[in-house]
Amino acid sequence: MSYYFTIIGTKDNPLFEHEFGTSKQGGDGVARFREEARHMNQFIAHASLDIVEEVQWASGQMYLKLLDRFPPATYISAFITANNVKFLLLTCPSDSAPSRSSITSAASARSSSYPSSATYNPTAPATEEAVKSFFYEVYDAWLKTLMSPFYHINTPIGSPVFRGRVAAAAKKYL
Amino acid sequence: MNPLQDADPLQSPQYSNSESSLVLPKIRASPVASLAGLPYRRSNPSLSSLFASTASILPKSRSGSVTPTAPLVAGSVFSPGATHGAASPASTPQGSQPADEARTLILRSFVPHVGVFASADADELVQQKGLPGGFVELVRPFGERVHGKVTIRDSIGASRSWDDFGIRFTGLRDGIGVPPGGARRSTDSRPGTANGYRNSTEAADAAWLRVGGDVRSIEEVVDRHLAYAEEQSGPTDYLNHKQNTFETPIASSPFYALYLRRLLSGLPMAPHETFSHPVACVLAISSRSPSPIEELRRLYTATSTGDQRLPHWVNNEFLRYYVLVHDEDHDDISKSTSLFEQMKRHFGLHCHLLRLRTNQCVSSDEDCIRIPTCEWISASEELAEIHRREDISDPNIYLHESDAAALRTFVRELTTQSIVPVMERLIATWNEQVASRRRGISGRFMSLSKKWSPFSSSRTSSNPASSNPSNTNYDSLQGFYRPDSPEATMRKLADYAFMLRDFKLASSVYDLLRTDFNTDKAWKHYAAANEMCAVATLMTPANLSSKTRTENVDQMLESASYSFLSRCGAPFYALRTLAMGLELLKLRGSSAADDAARWATKALEMRVVGPVGEALFTERVSACYASRKGTGSMSWGSRRRKAAFWAVLAADSWVKLEKGVQAEKCLSEAGRLYGVDADGVTDLPFEGMRIFMRALSETVGALRRAKRGFDERAEEREADEETLAEDEVVEEISETLDKRPHRKSLVGIGAGPLGPLDTPLSPLRSTEDEPRFKDDQFE
Repeated sequence: MSYYFTIIGTKDNPLFEHEFGTSKQGGDGVARFREEARHMNQFIAHASLDIVEEVQWASGQMYLKLLDRFPPATYISAFITANNVKFLLLTCPSDSAPSRSSITSAASARSSSYPSSATYNPTAPATEEAVKSFFYEVYDAWLKTLMSPFYHINTPIGSPVFRGRVAAAAKKYL
Repeated sequence: MNPLQDADPLQSPQYSNSESSLVLPKIRASPVASLAGLPYRRSNPSLSSLFASTASILPKSRSGSVTPTAPLVAGSVFSPGATHGAASPASTPQGSQPADEARTLILRSFVPHVGVFASADADELVQQKGLPGGFVELVRPFGERVHGKVTIRDSIGASRSWDDFGIRFTGLRDGIGVPPGGARRSTDSRPGTANGYRNSTEAADAAWLRVGGDVRSIEEVVDRHLAYAEEQSGPTDYLNHKQNTFETPIASSPFYALYLRRLLSGLPMAPHETFSHPVACVLAISSRSPSPIEELRRLYTATSTGDQRLPHWVNNEFLRYYVLVHDEDHDDISKSTSLFEQMKRHFGLHCHLLRLRTNQCVSSDEDCIRIPTCEWISASEELAEIHRREDISDPNIYLHESDAAALRTFVRELTTQSIVPVMERLIATWNEQVASRRRGISGRFMSLSKKWSPFSSSRTSSNPASSNPSNTNYDSLQGFYRPDSPEATMRKLADYAFMLRDFKLASSVYDLLRTDFNTDKAWKHYAAANEMCAVATLMTPANLSSKTRTENVDQMLESASYSFLSRCGAPFYALRTLAMGLELLKLRGSSAADDAARWATKALEMRVVGPVGEALFTERVSACYASRKGTGSMSWGSRRRKAAFWAVLAADSWVKLEKGVQAEKCLSEAGRLYGVDADGVTDLPFEGMRIFMRALSETVGALRRAKRGFDERAEEREADEETLAEDEVVEEISETLDKRPHRKSLVGIGAGPLGPLDTPLSPLRSTEDEPRFKDDQFE
């Protein structure tokens, strides 16, 4: 299972990107995305902003849960902060990343490479709770970064401390 | 119409004027075409007139008084009609127009089928006019749109006039589809393949071609059209490529329309739906026949018991319509009139005297018209036509104006005086006798077969191997209901209602059938009922609350596509279901557009489309998202980014297919949606996206350059050839016409490096890139 986490600013600009793999069930915490997933993940995350901007008005929560999916198996959860900065988490249950070629390749490839996607349920309470905890932990870290006098709002976050905290949260919950 | 052709003013007259076969462009195989593995030999004017249909493929007229794009109550926060007084997004003109066309397309594709069975002498008479296909081929183009308005009375007695009503003439046994030699790769299992081969293989071939339902040949046809458009687009240079790309939004791609149309053309005859079962059968004899009445009787017997008998899952009690073809040039009209009177006495009112001239008409004759081309030919038939026209320069067949008028009158009379009244009467009868009982109190608890079938017990006992031994009318071994069973009658009732555009009745009957078919485990019937129920529900002009839509329609589409694909292995029908569902949902606008996009995505996921279809459907997803307009000044609730994303994906698919023009169109659409200007993708915030977009546009530019380079090389070769064969006048003319656009393209090459999409790195962008992701180590 691979994850792609991104923080998106108010002008749809990325502030922070991080890829990691699952640490549960013996995962080594390394993301296994394919090469083309570099841009595909960004495209997918960017496209889900449409849904975020719609759902944010309907929900009173900051955590917007699972709100979008991209075939064949990429799930997008979102979290929105008070100043309209969005956290997006892309979950790919399979090791093969979201890509057009995984749609177009033969059916056999699909069945072979998806042992975990069959069992993964993005709306299971445990999954949602884990994602929520992850988001809140990142939110804490993000607030502290915001308070830094050297950080300008809506600019990319380059702090290695913040990246370390995100990685720790990922390891802890996902 | 086609911007790719019209954009080049110097080339367009050459191709649009297909009458002049004076100018024959030379053999030219573009690298694009050769890479796609297409056997391109030549493109002559008659062929290009065939391809030009992609430009004007959709009927321009609006259908009747229906306004389908009604604003809806939707689940979304931004859906109109809730609290905002904002205008409905669906009522914007650019949103409703192409959508309406998709609806018209569906309206016009499910029309009554009329089998044609002509005697040998009648066929011979028509063949003398230059139509090798005989009587069917002559009447077929005229049935596609009945001249004048057709008034139909629906089940509650309200009349409505339609001016785009049509009927489909087919050979009587066409839809059964006997493959020539059985060697055809079909994506679909065809029922009734074993039921009798034709004697003459040629006739069988022609009949087979008329059957659609083959996704692969649809792909091939669209690919041909694409390759042609690619070839004809001419060198797009710095000066004109902008107008090209921005003229048509991808929302109304003619190729997608063609794909849909071919998908809905030539429906194969199958037990689980009765659209292609004949509603009537035209029995035609000619005045040359020595014993006409005997001949008609013979034809009748052949259709009811003889070798023209349809398989026994087709209800054989359709209307017989008797036509006497009078040979205006050779036979005596008074004799024919008296014969016609005699026919009327014998066979009742369903008779017609068709007066045709038999002398072959040539284009130089005064009152001649070209025989119209059929719009609703199946994909394989169109392919055959393309192949044929690659060899023959002007295959057009001309008719005398008087013949055309006679045929139009014949079709109109047949439709308004026989077919429509008969169907109306049957609908009323069946509705009263079968469907209303089912709707009653007891009917709700009891399925049809349990109570009202007099045959059910006997048949199940004679069929011990049946998987469900309960009393049902379903023959699960052979997979059909007998045509006299109530289920089959109900299905026919619903289909008739659908064909006469009474969607309310149709959807209610389909809905009843769904449960019955489900209990009988008649999966193909179940899937088909679900499909048509969803379509009929969406076709009703009434508003549909988003709750009904998500609960019923989505569920129906889901089970239809699932059953067709997984239980029955019929990908063609699954694709048809999804395509119709998505089109109809799309035109409902608002949150239904989201659903439409979801179904289009599903079609991609289910792998029911080939490579061309994949690109087209990806494009369609983008169009669905783009059709959803937001509310307010921020246009909240729009799907701009999603539309742009899918447009990029579509461009990627087109690039993989080497279709540079299409890719370019998608790419510029994506750029427009992302809000980046054509000077570069400077505005995209994500680095990966930016790089990918740039790479894509470079590939597109390379494709274009490759084509342009090739054109010039071809021109050089042409010049060489010309010196060798100077006596060929035709060549010379084509040369002079061909050269000028290329001259312009030479200028374009000079300006090439400045071309917007070609520029690898503008200085502006390179400075912009750096600071964006620079690490500011502020901690």
